[in-house]
Amino acid sequence: MTALTFTLKKNPQFKVNCSRLTPNDLTDLSLAQIRNLSLTNAKNSPKVVDYFEVYGGDTKNIIFKNSNTQLNFIGHRMSSGSITIEGDCGDFLGANMHGGNIICEGNAGDRVGDQLRRGLILIDGNAGDYCGSRMLAGTIGVHGNAGKYAGFAMKRGTILLKNKITPLATIQDCGAHMLPILTLLFNSFKPFSTKFKMIKANRVQRFAGDLAVNGNGEILVIL
Amino acid sequence: MRGTRVLITAINLKWAHHAANAMTGFATSVIGCGVEAGIERELNADETPDGRPGVSVLMFAMGSKVLMQQLETRMGQCILTCPTAAAFADIESDEQINLGKNLRYFGDGFQTSKLINGVRYWRIPVMDGEFLCEETTGMVRAIGGGNFLVLGASQEQVLAACETAIEAMHKLPNVIMPFPGGVVRSGSKVGSKYPKMFASTNDAFCPTLKGLVNSELSDDIESVLEIVIDGLTFEDIAKAMKVGIEAICVLGKTSGIKRISAGNYGGKLGPHHFKLHEILK
Repeated sequence: MTALTFTLKKNPQFKVNCSRLTPNDLTDLSLAQIRNLSLTNAKNSPKVVDYFEVYGGDTKNIIFKNSNTQLNFIGHRMSSGSITIEGDCGDFLGANMHGGNIICEGNAGDRVGDQLRRGLILIDGNAGDYCGSRMLAGTIGVHGNAGKYAGFAMKRGTILLKNKITPLATIQDCGAHMLPILTLLFNSFKPFSTKFKMIKANRVQRFAGDLAVNGNGEILVIL
Repeated sequence: MRGTRVLITAINLKWAHHAANAMTGFATSVIGCGVEAGIERELNADETPDGRPGVSVLMFAMGSKVLMQQLETRMGQCILTCPTAAAFADIESDEQINLGKNLRYFGDGFQTSKLINGVRYWRIPVMDGEFLCEETTGMVRAIGGGNFLVLGASQEQVLAACETAIEAMHKLPNVIMPFPGGVVRSGSKVGSKYPKMFASTNDAFCPTLKGLVNSELSDDIESVLEIVIDGLTFEDIAKAMKVGIEAICVLGKTSGIKRISAGNYGGKLGPHHFKLHEILK
């Protein structure tokens, strides 16, 4: 069965809330039902078909094609399955996520993985500000640059960065380390087609926090 | 019996062996040690979850409670303490027992867990970096106490034959020989003249008592050693016994080995009987 694919038909004038386009919400829906699904609960909410061409049938494996930064809340609250974004995406990618995998082949907006509880988000491009904000657990990887305030109010979890950042004052530098867990983590990335597959190093600069919320999360910057 | 397998990795094989040797130390017999444990085999870096060389350890106990308690104690004192060592589950079972689940509290609140592909790992900060340990491992039904006796003309010849057998048996999966070097000299019988002792020396196989007891030894036998095998299944033990006995037989008459026997304790010690003639067919 081919992956359920949403191809953006036009560049939306406004932000499009994609929070309903997750494996959780689309399971058991027919293609026709998915096309006619309202994107929000609002009275005059746009429907999926207003923005996307939809085809494929595997709701556990979703692909966004031709996507851009107007698509917010992709993977919101998802707990299983996989979402691949072939392009850029907007804010709140994987917010409140409870499991599953999100692969973004382009850039992501602000608040990636906000309140992420479990699961994996890998971004080949850049991430906006507040990446991993209020994160509770799980893993976010950013191969490009992460914006300001990464790990803001994070409690636990791992933000893996390829490039250096200036961390918040409440996220402390714990030094450079070889971490055995990284081998396992990189091995778990192997099934996905991302730039993270190329990384071999397991030496990282470890930042821990956010101490402002008594957090025990970590930002690992690959050295 | 219950058994489990733990995979121990380290920066190199030398340190993996240090960890595994400590963990399997004082684990020759369930009677006195709680568990019987041994190194099953060495693993290359490409066979382990963290890409480092390691060894697999098998551990057996009479019941699940003892096995759980012994595993946690030995993990805490022998693996957590060993530089660079990490521990992973290496046996599938619906029954899971703690590997690092409680060890994590050593981290005093700085421990972190990571769920990777549905498996939870604990990362405990220690002075050399981080101790990485899988949360649980599987526990399976297993068999202990498979054995055979090697009877020969001299102590040196019997020991050399046993070393040959052990070398061959070490190549097999799913079995360990828990005694020192895989060989035991103090074979026992059930009971004793002393009421408090429930096992005592196997006098019928002690060469120095030939004239005093109802000896099983002929005049030309001067030394006897026993190889004890624990394994995950009956077939694993039977195969190990076959390989070990055949390795000794290949040595020929000049090896000084006169007989191969086995302790069956009147057929009353455990439900499994390894009949040598059937095993060797």
